[in-house]
Order: sequence, then C-alpha cells, then structure tokens
Amino acid sequence: MNNPYESQSARISFISRQTDNIKLFRFELGKKIKYQPGQFVELSLPGFGEAPFAPCGDAKENYIELCVRNAGKLTAKLHEMKVGDKVGLRGPFGNGVWPLNKYDFKKQKNLFIAVGGLGFVPLRTLILGKDDLLGSGTKVQIFYGAKSPDDMLFRHEYDRWKKQNIQLELTVDKECVGWKGCTGLVTTLFDKHEVVQNSVAFICGPPVMYRPILEKLQKLGFADEDIYLSLERRMHCGIGVCQHCAVGPYYTCKDGPVFSWAQLKTIPEAI
Amino acid sequence: MTQGGLEKFVAYLRQNGWPIFGPVFSAEKTEEVSPFLAAHQPKSAHKDGQIYIKEIQKAEDLDLSGQLPFYSFKRFFVPEQECLFQYEKEKLDQPEKEQKAALLGMSILDLKAVNLYDQVFEKDPYYQLRRRNLLIIGYSLTPEIQGNLFEIEYEENILEHLPFDIFLVKTDKAFKVFTGSIKGQRVLEDFGYKDYQHIQYSGPVKEGKLEERMERLRDRLKNHPNPQIWEELGKICIECGKCTLACPTCFCFRIDDKPALKEGAGKRTREWDSCFYQEFSEVAGGHKFLKTTAARILFWYYHKFARIPDEFDFMGCVGCKRCAKVCPVGINIEEVLKKIENS
Repeated sequence: MNNPYESQSARISFISRQTDNIKLFRFELGKKIKYQPGQFVELSLPGFGEAPFAPCGDAKENYIELCVRNAGKLTAKLHEMKVGDKVGLRGPFGNGVWPLNKYDFKKQKNLFIAVGGLGFVPLRTLILGKDDLLGSGTKVQIFYGAKSPDDMLFRHEYDRWKKQNIQLELTVDKECVGWKGCTGLVTTLFDKHEVVQNSVAFICGPPVMYRPILEKLQKLGFADEDIYLSLERRMHCGIGVCQHCAVGPYYTCKDGPVFSWAQLKTIPEAI
Repeated sequence: MTQGGLEKFVAYLRQNGWPIFGPVFSAEKTEEVSPFLAAHQPKSAHKDGQIYIKEIQKAEDLDLSGQLPFYSFKRFFVPEQECLFQYEKEKLDQPEKEQKAALLGMSILDLKAVNLYDQVFEKDPYYQLRRRNLLIIGYSLTPEIQGNLFEIEYEENILEHLPFDIFLVKTDKAFKVFTGSIKGQRVLEDFGYKDYQHIQYSGPVKEGKLEERMERLRDRLKNHPNPQIWEELGKICIECGKCTLACPTCFCFRIDDKPALKEGAGKRTREWDSCFYQEFSEVAGGHKFLKTTAARILFWYYHKFARIPDEFDFMGCVGCKRCAKVCPVGINIEEVLKKIENS
C-alpha cells in the first residue's frame, strides 16, 4: 500500500542567502515532484521533524527550490546544512492552487499580486513560469512589502522581471538610510499606484495584512470570487487527516492552501 | 450460541493466537485510576468499581451488561502513539509487524466509531495493517439513556451499517450470531459453528436518508453560528484535553521525531493530539490561529457536527457521553447540543 508519509531523499545542490535569516535551497531529486504554483511539500530531517514549505522555483525544472526562514528547530538545522547534504521531501500537497486555468490570463485578464514578507515565495514560481502560465502580453503588477530593503526576497532578480512586462512596486515598513522608495505597509502602495485594470488578485503574506488589503480591493470593485489568498496553518499530515489545518469546513492542506475570498468570508477564524 | 458455546469459542480464539480484549468489571476504584476524576465524577453505574477493557482468559470474565467501558476501544485502532519510521542517520525504515487481537463485546456505539476510523484512515497503510489483524466481535446491548445520548438501540436492520466480523445478539439465554465479513465467517467455520447468518455491509449510512439531528446541528453550526455558546463555555473550560482522550471519535494526531540515545537514531512517531492544547494551531513565529478557549471548543464541536458530516454523511459523535464523564468542570455535551439546536 502506498505510504503518504514516506519521503524521498533530496540532495542540496545550491544555497543562496536571501536575507540575514532566510536562505534559498535547491534540492536535486531522484524522482521529480511535479507541482503547480500554490502547492507545497513536506521537508523532513530525521531527528528534527517535518514541516510544510511552498516551492518557489521554476516548476518546469527537475529540482525543487525552497526559501526557508530560520525560525525553529528544523529550519535552524537546515540553515546549518551545506551543498551535498540530504533531506527528505514528500508531496506535492494541496488541491487549491493559484487559479491559472480558471481565467484566460493569456488574453482577457491581468494579474495583481499583493505580497508581504515571505509571502513572495509561492508567487516566484508563477513569475518564473510567466510566459507559459500567463502569456507574454499579460500585465502583471506586484505590490511587495518587506521590513527593510535587506529583507526583500529575490532582489537581484527584480531588474530581469521588470523587463518582462512586470510592474513591481516596493515598500518597506520604516524609513531607513539609503532607501528612497515608499515606506509603510503594503496598503500604502494602493494610494500611490493605480491597480491594473481588469485583473484577478492573488495575495500571500502574514495574516495581519489580509484584512486591510481586502478592504482596498473591495473598494476597487474586485469581486470576492476574483480575490485569492494563500493560508498559512500548522500542518502535520498534509493529506487532510490530522486536523491541525482545519478552517471551517476546509482543510488548508487538502482543499487549499489557496482559497478564494468567496470561500472564506463567512468563516470567523479564517484570517 | 449458548454461554457454554461462547466459553468454548473464547478458548478456541486464544488457542489460535487471538488475545481477547473486552469489557471487564473491575473493583479498582476510580480513585486508583484517577483521584481527580473520582472527586468530580458523578457516581458510576457500579458503585464499587468501573468497567475497563482488559485482556480476558474466559468468557465469564466479561461484563456483558451493556454498560460502556470507561475508555473506548479507540487505542486498538488508533493507538496513543505509534512508530511511522525508525531512522538511523538518513535511513528510514517502516515497521511492518502488528499483533493480532480480538475485541469481544464492542457495543453499537463503539462500532459506530470504527465506521469513522475506517473512513478517515482509508488510505493509511499503518491503520490498514492494524485493522487486518483485529477481529471485531460486536454485542447488542447498549447503555441506558444516561450513557447513550442518541438513544441508539439494537435492531436487526442496523447491522448492515456497522463494521464487525462477528456480532452477538443477546437473547433470553443465549446469543444469536451474525457475521459481517469473510474473516468472521472463516473464524466461526473453523471453530465449528455454523448456526449464523451473514450480513452484507452496505456502508455507514442508511441509503437515501440523512439523519435529521445531524442535518439540524450542521445547519446551525454553519449557517446560524451563536458565538455566545462558545464564549460561555470558554469561561469554564480549562483546556485539559480529557474529553479528547476519552472520546472514541477524537483522532487528531501530531507527528514528531523522537531521538534515541544512539546518535542519529530514533523514530518518527504519530501520537494523539488535542485541539485544546496551545500548540495545536501554532505556526513558525508563534502565531496561533485558535486564539481563545472559546475558539478551541467551537473547533471541537464543529469538527464532530459539521466537518465530519460534510466529509462522510454521518456525525462524528456516537453519543457515549464519555466526554461529559471525564470533564472536570462539568461540560455536558447533551446540554451543549441542545443549545446549538436552539440557536
């Protein structure tokens, strides 16, 4: 019988430091994990446990990239690891993904993305696969908020993305030396830049940022069905059994982690 | 089957490698099991003891009065802790052994919980291996109303919706015998008993008809939420998690790595968790999604009376009231359900 808890061995082939406590790891796999943007995998290290992470790399590649903050026992150990070391990976999990097939992004719809902190992670896959997933003419607008300029993920890639018809607007929480851009929460970007017309919204970030962004989007006339958010929850099994990630009638791991606001708006504890 | 026949059947099972577990009356006072419970618990049906699930040597050891054992049969199906993998450095091995066990005298209430385990752990290789090694022998007597919230009673047409290998129906002086699986038939035939009837299992739910009470409770929880119920309960609940341990349908679990003394070695375990515990909804960085006691109690009720009905079309509560028995602050599920229905 198939064992959903069995992981495959994955070898670290590349590490890049993103911020003082976030690193990007690339893992080579024996058997490709074929995933869609929005899904996640469970990474484990014997003795240190297991935790869910959303891939952030190009989904076409055979390897998997995870962007991990040093935040606990498992991730601290991972941060100590070097190229050549091995971890366990299982997945992909999640049926709720960014709805790329629901809309005609190639011709009809544009994409608005609002992300904060590590919330950028699951959307990098979408940006890297933009030409296949969205179409070259699709307008993509990203509002990204981070604590400080040094906390911005993937920042060496921004220039390349801007050349690909992506409008990237940045903000940092507080004013700081050397930063000439916008300061304040992600929502302040709504006052400075016009949100791209005729678009679908994808949101991902810390829970505190969801309500203010939803308010802005609703004022702009976005329908609840056209706003998508990725939920963060504690997860153990990844397959809708252990109950940790339950949100009302849904399991974040199985039915999500990406949900439309129409699905979540009546659930009190959702965001 | 006569009482004498049952005695021989028990001997036969034991000779054939089936340790038998069933309800046994024990004079062990509740104080010896839990002094705290003894101080808070309403008096039990037996003044001088309790019924526990124990291994038996003879059929006469069994208490077949229909009273529910204090703990349910849950741990035989979903143990409090199990090993998923043994690891040494990067190598992980899956344990493949499971002990045989016969469970004799499971009431209809406890069998209903097995319906839930079978659905929830349908794709779980550990559960399936364990389940193959269990022989379930159900029994027709059910508890009085004090321990039987939904007043479930034996009737012959309930059998096709219950998971069992063998089922004993108490008659005046003997037992009428049914089988519910090929395994049950094989065991009886091999024992030399042929006077039984087979029941073809037709799933946990009666066809075409959902239980009214289930529909009503789900509708109230989902469409007419009444936060006041949970706020009030949140003020008295102390989040001890005893109800989740005693409940036959609580199966939440966590997965952890437990290092052994030898460096790099240990096991990855799955063990019972409780949605009342602080850590249950905590994510990296310390944020908790179930912030208050009220939110945690609602989570417990919502799972049993809304989410499980959504998933499987039956309630995640068998009505045994074990949760009410062990609650140190006297939260009574019967009263809570009435409040939900009236909201």
